[in-house]
Amino acid sequence: MLASSTVENYLKAIYAGAASLGNGQRLLPMGQLAAAVGVTPGTATTMVKTLAESGLVEYEPYAGVALTAAGQKLAALVLRRHRLIELFLVRVMGYSWDEVHDEAELLEHVVTDRLIERIDEMLGRPETDPHGDPIPNAEGLVKAQDAQTLLSCPLETTVTVTRVIDQDKEFLRFIEHHHLKPGEAIAVEARDAAADSVRVRGKNDQRITIGTRAASKLLVQVVQMLLLCILALPAFAQDAPTTQARREAPRTNLSGYMDFHFNNEEFTDARLDFHRFVLLVTHSFSPRIRFVGELELEHAFVEGLEEGGELELEQAYVDFLLDRSFNVRAGMMLMPIGIINERHEPPVYYGVERPFIDTVIIPTTWFEVGAGVHGEVGRGWRYRAYIVAPLNAAEFNADIGIRDGRQKGSESNVSRPAVTGRIEYVGFRGLTLGASGWSGRSGFEFRPRFDVPVSLAEADARYSRRGFEFRGQFAQVWIDNAGQLNDTLALRVGVNPNIGSALRGFSLEGSRRFFSGSRLGEVGGFARYENFDTQYRMPAGYVPLQEFDRDAWVVGANYWPDPDVAVKVDYSIVGNQSSVIRSPNSFNVGLGWWF
Amino acid sequence: MVVLMRHSIRLLTLVVIIGVVMSEGTALPAGASAKAGQDARVIEIAAERFAFTPSEIRVKAGTPLEIRLQSDDTAHGFHIVGTDVDIELPKRGRGVATVNFQPQAGRYTFECSRICGAGHEFMRGVLIAE
Repeated sequence: MLASSTVENYLKAIYAGAASLGNGQRLLPMGQLAAAVGVTPGTATTMVKTLAESGLVEYEPYAGVALTAAGQKLAALVLRRHRLIELFLVRVMGYSWDEVHDEAELLEHVVTDRLIERIDEMLGRPETDPHGDPIPNAEGLVKAQDAQTLLSCPLETTVTVTRVIDQDKEFLRFIEHHHLKPGEAIAVEARDAAADSVRVRGKNDQRITIGTRAASKLLVQVVQMLLLCILALPAFAQDAPTTQARREAPRTNLSGYMDFHFNNEEFTDARLDFHRFVLLVTHSFSPRIRFVGELELEHAFVEGLEEGGELELEQAYVDFLLDRSFNVRAGMMLMPIGIINERHEPPVYYGVERPFIDTVIIPTTWFEVGAGVHGEVGRGWRYRAYIVAPLNAAEFNADIGIRDGRQKGSESNVSRPAVTGRIEYVGFRGLTLGASGWSGRSGFEFRPRFDVPVSLAEADARYSRRGFEFRGQFAQVWIDNAGQLNDTLALRVGVNPNIGSALRGFSLEGSRRFFSGSRLGEVGGFARYENFDTQYRMPAGYVPLQEFDRDAWVVGANYWPDPDVAVKVDYSIVGNQSSVIRSPNSFNVGLGWWF
Repeated sequence: MVVLMRHSIRLLTLVVIIGVVMSEGTALPAGASAKAGQDARVIEIAAERFAFTPSEIRVKAGTPLEIRLQSDDTAHGFHIVGTDVDIELPKRGRGVATVNFQPQAGRYTFECSRICGAGHEFMRGVLIAE
């Protein structure tokens, strides 16, 4: 069927109407189409039935209409003609941008494809028309526009007007008069919800206050500037969302985080280390059944029996979301212990390396197979409680405590499962209070078998507000039968490991972030004190080695060119109680990011 | 067995004590910080890995709501389960996302709909319209 101007106008109206449909709504109601075309619903229905017979639309009685692929292409080609004609009239014929729409409405139906192709070529194959509307290509494909409205773009940030989505003549003249046409650089200074207004700073620092309705019709993009540092690019190139845009969440998502470090530690050579490469995959089987997987490559390289690198499955669980207060989780899970173990994305903490207490007392990243429940019981209180595989005491040592005892879900021995849990308060903005525990019997590997009961108790607090943040954490580990454990391991390996019966650590950290919201990003400084002793108590007959009674001052700074990218620098001064053995100080630089 | 029980009791005691200490003097969350608007009640919600604050909001059924959401770190999502409300919050310092919603009587679970880190699945809350 040769498309008539009426057919083309219907297709255009369905095309435009479909763009305004809500999330999950596919069909354009007939009443809406009739209003757009300016006819009665009965007339619109008759025409739509004809279009359906031609294969240009799908029509469902009492539901609405949608374009088929053929109809979609035809509508896009009409828009291509319309927009190229508008641009031609402005650029070549000298029309003003507020008088071309009506001309184009007529001409779009009569010009030949050959003429349109010549116009396109003559204009240099433009991507947008005078109003900023995208021009479909000859195949009817439209390049996606990445834009926000003046209601959602960042405040006090230079943006470029890219599109005006209302072509009412008076509105276009208003826009032109106030230098808000596509291509103009402006900034939103303030939004006043009570007055429904937006104050804009434009050319020559002129201010104008416009209503939110008008502001919603102006699309803008954040200006991308050449930066002194390439790392700052993400601060400008990020995709800020469009406020009030409805969208359908993808069923499968890929995200992750990375950690790249330079470590210069006393007594050893400086190292560059791609410490962590972590990919997070999530999938929703349904709104109530979800999968989360986290695969981590540590130190960049893994080879058979290689001790340097590790490929670890840190999370792989399915969540059954039954109720806000009671949900079930099973698989490989993060132990709900402390601040860092469950919240370890590099941009969210200061310091290149994780705190010492979160390494030698709480063995982060601590993950294990098991199952459990979690939920929020109201007023900001929530809990997690899991049954998991226990630690393996045969791998404990004096230096880093229980860390090497993690079975990591690799054919984990669960003859005597462990329990772990956490209660947490998050009911006040910026404040998190938590208490965690872990208890299990860890001597399963020894023959004859004997028990090595291990318990861990932890409490933490974190408060952040207006750039200030305070963190405090305390953790203690008890290892019963440590004497028998040492004796048994001494017989096995020939050296007594001197494992303590209690390990203890605490840390206090204060920080301040500056320039929040600045276009050049943010800078923050911090100081942290840590005290940690892996031989806090020794079994009867054993004497603690003073070198394991350590403390550390860590001072440094973070620079965030984007809230999801952190450049870190710190200096760690580590001390111990030994008069013979010194703990190494270190200077560290890191780059971490989340996406 | 006795030793394990002793450790379990020690652990539970510590957890309970800390829980009691934390609950004392803890004011109820402000719920939604509401302001008198011309038409809609304004609800302000802060989002941070991995919690919405407040995470429990009570409103009168049928009240038009203007929900303003601000992130203290990365981009988050705000989805009211069972509805079309699903918006993305800008990253820290990049503005406020706003959505209008008029709840009928009932409980509405809301959740983060943009993966934001290891604890993303904990980021949920409830809107109770009475």
